[in-house]
Amino acid sequence: MILDVQGIEMSYGALKVLHGIDLVVEKSETFAIIGPNGAGKTTLFKVLTGEAMPTAGTIRHNGQDITKLPAHQRARRGFGRTFQVARVFNELDLRTNVVISIESRLRYSGGNPGPWWRWKPSRDVQAEADEILDRFGFPRRRWNDEAGYLSHGDRKRLEFCVALATKPEVLMLDEPTAGMSPSDRKEMTHLLARLKAETGITILMTEHDMDIIFELADRLMVLNFGEVIAMGAPGAVRDNPTVRKVYLGQDHQHA
Amino acid sequence: MNRAAQAALLLFLLLFLFAPFLVNPGLVFLAGFAMIQIVFALSWNLLFSYAGLISFGHAAFFGIGAYISAVALRDGYEIHFVLLILVCAAFGALAALLVALVVLRRASGVQFAVLTLALSQLIVVLIGYSSLLGHDEGIAAIPRPAIDFGLFTVDMNQPLTSYYFVLAVCLLAVGLMWLLAKGHVGRAMRAVRIDAERAAFVGIDVWRVRVIAFTISGAFAAVAGAMLAPWSQIITPDYVNWLQSAQPLFAALLGGAGFFWGPVVGVIGLSGINYLTRTFAGLSEVLVGASLILVVLVAPQGILGALKQLARRRGGRTPGGHA
Amino acid sequence: MTTLYLYAIFNGLVLGAAIFLVAAGLTLAFGIMKIFNFAHGAFFMIGAYVAYAVAGQEASSLPLFLAAAFIAALVVGAIGVVTDLAIFRRLGNVPHEYTLMAAFGIMLFCTGAARIAFGQSVHAIYPPQAIGGFSEIGLPVSHYGLFIIAAGIVTFLALEIGLNRIWFGKLIFAVARDPWMADVVGLRVQRLKLASVAISFALAGLAGGILVANQSLSLDLGHSYLLLAFCAVIVGGLGSIRGAFIASVIFGLAESLNSVMLPTMPGIGSYALLIILVLIRPQGIYPELSQ
Repeated sequence: MILDVQGIEMSYGALKVLHGIDLVVEKSETFAIIGPNGAGKTTLFKVLTGEAMPTAGTIRHNGQDITKLPAHQRARRGFGRTFQVARVFNELDLRTNVVISIESRLRYSGGNPGPWWRWKPSRDVQAEADEILDRFGFPRRRWNDEAGYLSHGDRKRLEFCVALATKPEVLMLDEPTAGMSPSDRKEMTHLLARLKAETGITILMTEHDMDIIFELADRLMVLNFGEVIAMGAPGAVRDNPTVRKVYLGQDHQHA
Repeated sequence: MNRAAQAALLLFLLLFLFAPFLVNPGLVFLAGFAMIQIVFALSWNLLFSYAGLISFGHAAFFGIGAYISAVALRDGYEIHFVLLILVCAAFGALAALLVALVVLRRASGVQFAVLTLALSQLIVVLIGYSSLLGHDEGIAAIPRPAIDFGLFTVDMNQPLTSYYFVLAVCLLAVGLMWLLAKGHVGRAMRAVRIDAERAAFVGIDVWRVRVIAFTISGAFAAVAGAMLAPWSQIITPDYVNWLQSAQPLFAALLGGAGFFWGPVVGVIGLSGINYLTRTFAGLSEVLVGASLILVVLVAPQGILGALKQLARRRGGRTPGGHA
Repeated sequence: MTTLYLYAIFNGLVLGAAIFLVAAGLTLAFGIMKIFNFAHGAFFMIGAYVAYAVAGQEASSLPLFLAAAFIAALVVGAIGVVTDLAIFRRLGNVPHEYTLMAAFGIMLFCTGAARIAFGQSVHAIYPPQAIGGFSEIGLPVSHYGLFIIAAGIVTFLALEIGLNRIWFGKLIFAVARDPWMADVVGLRVQRLKLASVAISFALAGLAGGILVANQSLSLDLGHSYLLLAFCAVIVGGLGSIRGAFIASVIFGLAESLNSVMLPTMPGIGSYALLIILVLIRPQGIYPELSQ
């Protein structure tokens, strides 16, 4: 197992939002956390990324306790992430966005981003950035555009490039298709499926869109009021009566 | 950067290169002073635009360089002047590193601004105590060195030589800062400024990048100070106080803080205002103050930002065309 | 020896009250506008010049002296309203570094305008005869010092009661906390904000009018108290009146005792104190509104 999470509790003052969450993520699987609004998904996700410190519990990565590691050290251990509202380096062009990520990886992984006085990224870095942008469908003519001018869907894709450029072992996605148009959504699902098939990367995600979850997730966990009410393969979870009641029930209503 | 801005910068460079043949000695002195302020302002902007830290006490590092250089020249230390500049840089870097280690741990935003301001005022107070540093009167009549480079000697007592030596050192400092800002260290710094959290999640150690930026910035500020001592031949605590600390801030804001060359445009603009209003006390402050307010309200990207926008509007499609 | 220390403590209290008179408007402005007003010292100086213009070098009576201070408060308050309408109000969407710079610009503008209007000369100003004397109670106690302490305490109580007890203060507080919500429940946010901005600037003018005596009035007048007031506001907790009061007294005493205990190193105590206090408690004594 790549990620072993035990007994995560989280309270804000008197309000307890997570009641002892356990979960295990295996290598190369896609694990999804779902649940109705206010179930604690976002809080759990924040705890897993290191943005929030849990009140109790431990997170182990390959057997080592990383509960208290700050974000940059988690990133260096092989965690990559995206945000619900995509965050990229707005004022910089697409290429520089990816280059920053690659150079950061080279710096901490013993590689060499080149001497400080080189005002252009080294040829290897440049080539790698171009390859990533190309793989994610950005045409060459747009590589020098400022990231701030991208559409929402394109920003999400660029954020993906930035996250993957550190070659993470685990990719953590916070609602990867939130706020996207149906066509962008389809494209993103496609992209994730391809990424999974090609690289065997481990993915941990939260998502609202059930179709995407059932298409991508190998296993999923349903949260309600800060507790796990079901965990397992998508088919089994879908047929679970409790889940139907609290979650899919709602979904059917407005379908 | 668009063509108009490039042309303007080239013009400025040419003006600085040929200033001694174009204008009177008074203006040549101001040109040298402006070049030193440019180095100082760029060092501050390295911190602001590239690491997202706003220091209100940057004159402290400038002052460290100025006073070390002034004392060494006055007391005739047997030290090569180029080495002296490096010593100043080292002390500036060390002081900045100490400040960064202490201040960056705990303070941010307004607290950071006021703490840096207070630390620099502390230096002013300390200078006031010291008879070595000439108390409140400062150090005057600083001799200019004759610098031996083996094959040739640069005698700063010759006005022309002196000017070109200052120009050369300033160009070198600006060049080094440019390389640094455009290289991978500069990219990491910009990433931290634009979105520190995003930067952390690609593995950048935000705190460390900020400390490094602060240290480097302190070193360059000290180099600017070190050049001022032989150029103006007088160093007073006024070069360390908060008004001096505010100069790069004004310059960067006026020229365009988001651009590497913004402070250059700003310093030249400010020098122009100061020169043109020199006979009318108070007017320069009114004009500089008003233009600062105007910039913040109307064109937060400064002169270069306004030029860029103009070019974009005229060109029709934005560079990020499909937005 | 004890007399010396007692004297230093008295002076420290006077200085603390003086710092608070400057810091009060500064911290109030931060609480309401979320702007750290670097220009506060310039408005303080304008207040001092206005009071001088009204009462002259030595006010002939205490009422005239007080009237001059209040006129200074009114004038500076009015300038503050104009500044708010013309500048501060438009800074809502500007990153906070830029609002600091705008305030710096205002300061420079005011200093320059004052230089043009009042000239470079330095005037010596004396308190009116009624509070110009000394009482000997084992040590000489200046009446003017007692007056400043009283002014500081009155201002503190007025603000403290005004902000916590009466309706106007509660409204201001509500607006400062959550302008959007205040708007929803029907408070006239803009008008209230304007009123409180006027008060915070008027405080700067009042401080200028009161503190100008026994000082040499020059364009640098603002600086002497301003830095200490900055320190007090930061250490007290941005936006907190109570914190600013406590911190002002602490800095006043530090500054004054510094001159007795380390006579060879004047002015170092408050900076050292600031650095230590900020490192121990960066959010301030009362971190009320600073989040």
